[in-house]
Amino acid sequence: MRPNAARRLALVLPLGGVVLGIALLGGGLSASSSESQSEEVLVAGTVCEAQDLKRRKELDPSLAIEIPPELNTPWPSWEACRSYVAAEDPDTPGPVQPIQFSHKHHAGDYQIECLYCHAGTDRSAAAGVPSVELCMGCHAQFPASYDELEGIRTLKQHWEEQRPIEWEQIHRLPEHVQFRHNRHVAAGVDCQACHGDVAEMDKISMIEDTKWWPWLLPTHTLEMGWCIECHRRNEASQDCYTCHY
Amino acid sequence: MAEIDRRDFLKLVGVGAGTAAASSGCYRYSDLPEKLIPYVVQPEEITPGIAVDYASTCVECPSACGLHVRTREGRPVKLEGNPDHPVNEGALCARGQASIGRTYHPDRCRGPMRRGPDGVLAPISWDEATTLLAEKLTAAGSEARFLTPPMGPTLSGLLDHFVEITGGGPRVEYVAYYQGALREAAAEVFGQPAQPLFDLTGTDFVLDFGSDFLDSGPSPVEHQRQLKQARDVQTAAGREARFVYVGPRLSTTAGNADEWVAPKPGSEGLLALSVAKVAFDERRRSGKPVGGDAALVGGLLADFEPSAVADRTGISADRITRLGKAAAAAQRAIALPPGPGLEGSNAVAVNAAVLLLDAVLGAVGESVSLAPVPDAASYAAVKRLTDDMRAGRVDVLLLGDDNPVYSLPELGFSDALQEVGLVVSLCPTQDETGELADLVLPDHTPLESWGDAAPRPGVRSIIQPTLRPLYDTQALGDTLLEVGRKMGVADKLPEGSFRQVLEAAWSDTDWRAALGRGGVFTTVAPQGGTVRSSASKLVAGEAKLDGEGDFVLLSQPSPLLYDGRGASLPWLQETPDPVTKIAWQSWLEVNRDTAKKLGITEGDVVTLETAAGSAEIPIFPRGGIREDVVALAAGQGHTVGRFASRSEDGKPGEMRGVSAFALLPGMTNESGGRAWLTTKVRLAPTGKQSRLANTQRSDNKRLRQLAESVTLAELARGDWNAEARGEPHGAHNEADHGGGNYEAHHAPAAGHGDEHAGSGSGHGDAAAAAAGGHAVAHEIHRPFDPADDAYDDSAYRWGMSIDLDRCSGCSACVVACSIENNVPNVGEEAVLRNRQMQWLRIERYVGEGNKDLIAGRKRPDDLENVGEVDIRHSPMLCQQCGAAPCEPVCPVLATYHTGEGLNAMIYNRCIGTRYCSNNCPYKVRRFNWFDYAIHDFPEPMQLMLNPDVTVRGQGVMEKCTFCVQRIQGARQLAKDEARPIADGEAVPACAQTCPSDAIVFGNLKDAKSEARVHVRENEGRAYHALQVLNTRPGITYLAQVERSEDGEDHG
Amino acid sequence: MTPPPAESVAAMIRPGAAPPDSPVNRDLLRVMDGTSVGYWILVLVAAGFVGLAAGIWIWQVYEGLGIAGYKHPVFWGAYIVTFVFWVGIAHAGTLISAILYLFRAKWRNAINRSAEMMTVVAVLTAAQFLGIHVGRIWKSYFILPYPNQRGLWVNFKSPLLWDTFAITTYLTISVLFLFVGLIPDFAIARDRASGWRKLLYSLLAGGWQGTSRQWKAHNRSVLHLSGLATPLVLSVHSVVSWDFAMSIVPGWHATVFGPYFVAGAIFSGFAMVLTVMIPMRRIYGLDAYITDYHLENMSRFLLLTSTIVAYAYGSEYFIAWYGGVEVEQTNFWLRAFGPYWISTWIMILCNGVFPQLLWIPKLRTNVAFLFVLSVLINIGMWFERYVIIITGLSREHDPAVWGIYTPSYAELGIVAGSFGFFALLFLLLIKIVPVVAIAEVKETVIHERMHGKGAH
Repeated sequence: MRPNAARRLALVLPLGGVVLGIALLGGGLSASSSESQSEEVLVAGTVCEAQDLKRRKELDPSLAIEIPPELNTPWPSWEACRSYVAAEDPDTPGPVQPIQFSHKHHAGDYQIECLYCHAGTDRSAAAGVPSVELCMGCHAQFPASYDELEGIRTLKQHWEEQRPIEWEQIHRLPEHVQFRHNRHVAAGVDCQACHGDVAEMDKISMIEDTKWWPWLLPTHTLEMGWCIECHRRNEASQDCYTCHY
Repeated sequence: MAEIDRRDFLKLVGVGAGTAAASSGCYRYSDLPEKLIPYVVQPEEITPGIAVDYASTCVECPSACGLHVRTREGRPVKLEGNPDHPVNEGALCARGQASIGRTYHPDRCRGPMRRGPDGVLAPISWDEATTLLAEKLTAAGSEARFLTPPMGPTLSGLLDHFVEITGGGPRVEYVAYYQGALREAAAEVFGQPAQPLFDLTGTDFVLDFGSDFLDSGPSPVEHQRQLKQARDVQTAAGREARFVYVGPRLSTTAGNADEWVAPKPGSEGLLALSVAKVAFDERRRSGKPVGGDAALVGGLLADFEPSAVADRTGISADRITRLGKAAAAAQRAIALPPGPGLEGSNAVAVNAAVLLLDAVLGAVGESVSLAPVPDAASYAAVKRLTDDMRAGRVDVLLLGDDNPVYSLPELGFSDALQEVGLVVSLCPTQDETGELADLVLPDHTPLESWGDAAPRPGVRSIIQPTLRPLYDTQALGDTLLEVGRKMGVADKLPEGSFRQVLEAAWSDTDWRAALGRGGVFTTVAPQGGTVRSSASKLVAGEAKLDGEGDFVLLSQPSPLLYDGRGASLPWLQETPDPVTKIAWQSWLEVNRDTAKKLGITEGDVVTLETAAGSAEIPIFPRGGIREDVVALAAGQGHTVGRFASRSEDGKPGEMRGVSAFALLPGMTNESGGRAWLTTKVRLAPTGKQSRLANTQRSDNKRLRQLAESVTLAELARGDWNAEARGEPHGAHNEADHGGGNYEAHHAPAAGHGDEHAGSGSGHGDAAAAAAGGHAVAHEIHRPFDPADDAYDDSAYRWGMSIDLDRCSGCSACVVACSIENNVPNVGEEAVLRNRQMQWLRIERYVGEGNKDLIAGRKRPDDLENVGEVDIRHSPMLCQQCGAAPCEPVCPVLATYHTGEGLNAMIYNRCIGTRYCSNNCPYKVRRFNWFDYAIHDFPEPMQLMLNPDVTVRGQGVMEKCTFCVQRIQGARQLAKDEARPIADGEAVPACAQTCPSDAIVFGNLKDAKSEARVHVRENEGRAYHALQVLNTRPGITYLAQVERSEDGEDHG
Repeated sequence: MTPPPAESVAAMIRPGAAPPDSPVNRDLLRVMDGTSVGYWILVLVAAGFVGLAAGIWIWQVYEGLGIAGYKHPVFWGAYIVTFVFWVGIAHAGTLISAILYLFRAKWRNAINRSAEMMTVVAVLTAAQFLGIHVGRIWKSYFILPYPNQRGLWVNFKSPLLWDTFAITTYLTISVLFLFVGLIPDFAIARDRASGWRKLLYSLLAGGWQGTSRQWKAHNRSVLHLSGLATPLVLSVHSVVSWDFAMSIVPGWHATVFGPYFVAGAIFSGFAMVLTVMIPMRRIYGLDAYITDYHLENMSRFLLLTSTIVAYAYGSEYFIAWYGGVEVEQTNFWLRAFGPYWISTWIMILCNGVFPQLLWIPKLRTNVAFLFVLSVLINIGMWFERYVIIITGLSREHDPAVWGIYTPSYAELGIVAGSFGFFALLFLLLIKIVPVVAIAEVKETVIHERMHGKGAH
């Protein structure tokens, strides 16, 4: 989905927060941002700041900004900077991952198919998790300016050391559940049905979905009743042996 | 392990929940995060969650069966037979199944080690290790020696080359059991060095002189398939086929025979010659070929009239004559040479006698092929080597993946090792020999390494790695190359790694295709030979016996532990011996009457005194052994290793059982080969008692509908009825067991032949009449159709047919099941408390049993053994009943009936009331008394757990599911292609691995499914276990067919 | 019953009318006040056993049921045996209170209170074993039929579920019965008590004044409760017996089990009443209230039920022989002459033979003899359950997997603990609750005064 005007505004609002975040990261910039009140020229210290200032300039042409030429590059894009910060926001639910990876950025902004990275999910019971190689497939081609994002540096480091990334697992079923991704993909169940609208999540957490079933009993995401409820609605098998053996 | 923590945590939570009623309890696993670790580079052939099969070769025994190694996420989880492989055609034996455990064994050597000055093995780097070895080898020159078991052609070729270019001393190959005497005999009889190969295909008379070819023979899987096919009761030829076992002990193999002849141990050769004499005359009379110049052969056999040998063998002349005539009359008769257990000082002569009999019967060049001799192991050579060692003429000794310290005690091998400068061990797992090594260069396990095997002409089989080595090990080939290069002979060595050497060796073939199929297979015509003019060594007298005492010690290879290499594999220890049903222990088989005379019973410990030493061992009385013979299976008696010995870690520990090797004097046969039947023994009761881990509580089936048998006559009449076993047979039983006991006690029974002379006739019309019986038979035998026990809207009713006439009791299915379903091996203590967890057991009953035993005369326990000649093996697993007694009694519906007729067991719903098991008449349910999943899978064994099957936790019931994970797997494929599951797509582990196709699985709603057809075609002998209870089982048994000449009596 | 002239009874009980220290009150309430050293020792011993059992149980939950002596194919052992035993004990209470009440057996008055107390305590003890014997106590709530997030239901076909219901129902009724019967006595206690007891009894007595209206209501409720409870006497233990009778285990699968178990239960229940009451009578000198007349009647009851039980034993063996089913025959042969012969003969002697001595009138009132006999019967009845459950399982249809069971120390410890628990609760109760139904006793006294002794 292209971000429409409304969403653009929605994006602009948290900018204060973003600037602050970057300021804290980059450091020493608090001065300039504080001066911003007094009609001073704002100087970008990093590409992300540059992107941010450009964006603010669009909204308020009166703003005086200065962007050093070496920082005047389209990459990393404003969205990249934003999602990168949002992906490690401690206030949003979900564990902090070793890499500030944003599904919103990849699946949302760039419209990358789930199965592109999670390959094999349509063939195997297990959901494919992208290998470091797959990530590098794209990121290796990106300009060096991207390296100012810590996550990218971590990724490249893992690749150089040929060391796997240890993600925090979020959607996990007990050992006694034999869940088959391929069957559900084949049956046309959207990934979002269980994993939530990841295209809108910078940081992944289990969605708080509660189905009131049966007899007005709450059953939460990935709990048995929650699965059964869906199986009922779609007339899928409810034989215990379908999932437990 | 996060696993354990979580379990304990939940357990404690649970206590709270349990005590504080139903308040909490619904935790969410997702609250307990774990790591998700993808590949760095994902191999293109691997998709997580999808299994990949690789073709390889099993190296547990010389037969070299083909493997399909099923791997998940790059690690093997199960071994299955390679259907394209000519040797095993998709089947695999118990030992082959269990061999996957070598790779995941907790006692594996995890890296090169060197014994420091403090006498402790300390880790070193491979570079140091190989450098050190290179120096030592260079220094040692011709005093560097190699002792290995026989290896694949390429590797042994490389080894020879290496020895040659480095100027090492002569290389020695040795393994406890090899066919040296047979080769010698072939040379004697046919005048050409040869390795006789025996092919039972289409044979209608098998005369086995003591080779346990179904369990520990040269190619058990192949022979079992061939024998059972030849005896397929659906064919006229199969009904006619006879199998006679000659030997002092009723072994697993003998249990499959129609007749058991027990001559004096060591006199088998005489018997063979006498039978040959009779057969020779017969065939002469009918003008058939007699395997060479008649005058010559006749001359050789002249002095062996039955009457002449009757006394020396203890077999009546009449019986010998009957055997000879039957052999001569047969279309395609074959005689098999004795197995290692029976090879005595006259082994070559005995083997020669049997080969001569084969020649007379015209089998040579037909069923018997004289193949060129491969690299041969040699006892004489290892004996010389030991002398050299003792004399300090060996500076460096490199020991292959074998355990001579255990298997060569009579040579004092371990003492001799002290005289060796540097002892190098390749030990993949710690064993007695590894303990004494100065330098340990751990080899890959077969699943990790490259290699090949050439068991016989026309079969070249590849061994390919199926996982990245778990530890810092290195293939022997590569170690040699590295060492060689460091010794400065690089120029004389092939380039690259051993893999390239192997590829070069296979350059004459399409390497990729070979990898795919598992090798290159061609059919080679059997090679014949004629009896040579002067076959001098044929004076087969009795075997020479050392020592004092009234008994002869028979030490046969164990069907499961073989020569002891199986002892370190818990599955083989946990699986009960097919005949005695004892697990984890050693026992001494004594004839029941002898035991009575000595006033000892099962479990009484006796002192066994042989020419070589003595040991204390509990006895197991049975009828199936001569009164003057006691038997002790080889394989136990290890002092190192986690399962082989009683030690809890890899370190040396208390000995488990008794080692037969340690009790045998180092006697040799005419050709300097190892003799096994060598000593008389004395038995002295100690008064001590020890409990035998005997998993068969009663041998007496009391005429209940278990392990049924049917005679050819009944089969022909079609009036056999499992339920009517009781009254009409009562009388017969008396007679039969009278006879049976007689046979067992006074084996060999004189005049056995006359009693039933001429009963061979009548089978013909029997066959004719068989057709008629069916319609009736259906009424009688199968009161219902299992296919009805599924929902009407379901296309499937999963069911099974088990043909007891094909089942040999080999127990391959048991091991396959345990590995496929993550069944824990609970160990000796638990087995002593009947707590073994195996989902599939093979029940071993003896005869029809006798229900009168429970009448007021005596306590049941006193009268368990009722005649031993009629051994019945009957696999018992969940019968998946249509009216399952276990289902209604479960308060929480943890077990219920699925729409497809399966008796489902949902572990995570089970609260462990155990009512289901109480109510199961077949007693096939197993309970997790402890958290076996944690206790019994020591690191790294948990790596081989099958990810498709839930690992059961403490306090839940479990049982056979017909491998539902495989059914569901097949269903996925079918669904993807929008078609029903085809017949043979879903096959449980037991059915898949059965060497004789005794177990057939399928969809009973499909009238054309193999399982269904199998039963329909054998309606006349079909029954359901305990069918009077009307549990409507999904499993149909086909009664064992009694071909024995006195079969009519049984009926 | 012909209710006594209400006013006269009221006159006797209304405070003031009768001197607070009327001999009846004094004697019967004496039990409750003051605690001797001996009492505390008893309490401590009992508590000790409970503590031991609790320790073992926690260990078992952590390690697994394997620490018990279970051995394939015997999957039920001492725990279930003891469960059935205690449920059986629980039967005397209801029988005495309800059925004898309906049958107007006056003599019950002296003993019904302690019998009812015993019932409640025994049921509580028994109920614990349902939890102790399962493999996953932390999942045992699965057995309760409540709407849950798994959307799963329980199996109403399973006798074990019926058990759960039977026990809970029985517990509810017994508690109700005990309480209703207690109200007048609580009132009396209230009138004499002081301090916290005063408060407690006031609450429990619920403003009982002993007016005729209250008496009418009281009597009617007792009557109705008796009506409700009567079927339970038969049903509860029948249900328990179905745990076995409904299965296809040889030696379990028998139609006689319902009446067989009920009779056995009443038998053991009465024995336990004697075991408990004879010492109490001695210690607190209640001879005046629990008289030979009572003992005599209870003895007769024992004799009757013993005979029924003995008959059941006989019929079991007869059917095994007459039915001609080989599996049954093997099984029963094993009972008498197999490895379990000791248990079997203990059961036959203690339950079938010794009680027959009660034909001798003298012995029926011989306290010492009755006490010994009652203890023997309790032992015998425990072994009866042991024999039925264990032998049935250890020689089943498939001879290949027979097995002999012997209880482990863990099991014995927990079983001992259950007796400790029973004793502990009972000891505590007798200090709070009048062990003899004062009101009813007085009733009888009056009754006798009006119609002369021995009148019914």
